[in-house]
Amino acid sequence: MTGFSKLAKVESKLLLRDPSAIFSMAVPLFILVIFGSGTSPGDTALPSLSMTIAVGLVGLYMVPTTLATYRERGILRRLSTTPVSPGALLSVQLILQLVFALLASAVLVAVSVVIFQAALPARVVAMVTAFLLGTSAIFAVGLLIAATAASGRAANGIGVLLYFPLAFLGGLMQPKEAMPELLATIGEFTPLGLFRQAIYDAWSGAATQSLLLAIMAVYALVIGLVAARIFRWE
Amino acid sequence: MAVIEVNDLVKRYGRLPVVNEVSFSVEQGEIFGILGPNGAGKTTTVECAEGLRRPDSGSIKVLGLDPVRDRRELSHQVGVQLQESLLQEHIKVWEALDLYASFYRAPKDWRELLEEWGLADKRQARFATLSGGQKQRLFIALALVGDPKVAFLDELTTGLDPAARRITWELIKRIRAAGVTVVLVSHHMDEVEELCDRVAVFDRGRIVALDTPSSLISAVDADQHLRFRPLAPFDDAVLTGLPGVVSVTRSGNRVIVAGRGDFATAVTSALARDHVPVAELRVEQHTLDDAFLALTGRTFDTQET
Repeated sequence: MTGFSKLAKVESKLLLRDPSAIFSMAVPLFILVIFGSGTSPGDTALPSLSMTIAVGLVGLYMVPTTLATYRERGILRRLSTTPVSPGALLSVQLILQLVFALLASAVLVAVSVVIFQAALPARVVAMVTAFLLGTSAIFAVGLLIAATAASGRAANGIGVLLYFPLAFLGGLMQPKEAMPELLATIGEFTPLGLFRQAIYDAWSGAATQSLLLAIMAVYALVIGLVAARIFRWE
Repeated sequence: MAVIEVNDLVKRYGRLPVVNEVSFSVEQGEIFGILGPNGAGKTTTVECAEGLRRPDSGSIKVLGLDPVRDRRELSHQVGVQLQESLLQEHIKVWEALDLYASFYRAPKDWRELLEEWGLADKRQARFATLSGGQKQRLFIALALVGDPKVAFLDELTTGLDPAARRITWELIKRIRAAGVTVVLVSHHMDEVEELCDRVAVFDRGRIVALDTPSSLISAVDADQHLRFRPLAPFDDAVLTGLPGVVSVTRSGNRVIVAGRGDFATAVTSALARDHVPVAELRVEQHTLDDAFLALTGRTFDTQET
């Protein structure tokens, strides 16, 4: 087996051994189950919200913590003395975290539909597009945290500190209608707010708002490039 | 045949040169020591040879390759153990070896390395649960899994207890016995004295001496001391006239003879000739510590902070 695929295999085992993976799966599932019984059949707002929590936790908490820890422990540096570059490990991690976010989302969709009679996603292609663009935008923020944090612990702290205001602004903690108008408007354009709205639109069958997708793409590109630019390997 | 050739290497951090016109070569099959206090430029020099850092000037060839330009090719042929490097907390011993083996063109059988380095019963253990000695053995095994021609080992025994250090030394001798050239970075005099065929002594970014440990020690131009307790009275004049003897002093029932060169043999034969039996005879020999002091005018330990 070549270095890259073996790396992917070992890293996926490590991802599943990481308690934060269970946490990132359990929290959105818990929210869905607790509040799910109070929703009317066909509702897709709560499922979209739980999916946003899952991707937010993976992107803002798992991605930066893992990468900054790998740098802090000298794992990236050690790899650069082997024929496999540390960039390979970085790519493997981002792909695995993306797959993990996708699996967590799939579980949430299944539980929503099967147990809480949520409607089936109305427009699957639009939903996958929203998922990929939104996840890229959120991961870019995570990568930026990893690039700037001095240690794994610091990355973890920044991730958590950033998650709560973003979750609040993104309407994950209370309905948008209950927020001051200005905050609600700002919140619509934060990564988590955009993701939640775009997923909800696609799931419920509302018209796709191209502006939301475009902003997410810009976030992914601009923040991702900045992060890649300032990322230190050691 | 030289496997590593370093010529006039200079590396600056900011404007401060941390390695300043360093030149040396490492021969095939030897254990080459790089000794010096913390901050002497040892690790930076080795990191340039590993291709981790780009020299500001000077040239380095490792196995005929340029460490920066030919980094990928070189990485197949050298094994590295880095100072202060860890593995993923939850990775198991066998997974780490299996993973690193997959990086190389012609890896060793990692199962044999597990046996050889005493890690067979720790095969399923996660990295975080290993002791300091076990972690170090795993790092050495990882450095060797690509079947390298040269192994760079940086501060291998720091943080190990004396017994674990002894065991590690034996293992390093085994690496050389297998034909691998070893570059050993250390700030432990005893380690270098025990293991190295030749040693470059670094101080403030320069090499202040390069020789075998025993030559470095014998080059120390300072008095050695011979102590003993005479069991019969004798006149100091018997000893003071001997070649190499500098002074004879008495302290209680002890006699201390200071001298240079092979004075100890002269003293003991003179005493035997005059039928003076002695007890508790001790020769205080020089160590690399004395050599370092003589070379730099400073003691080694005060450099550590």
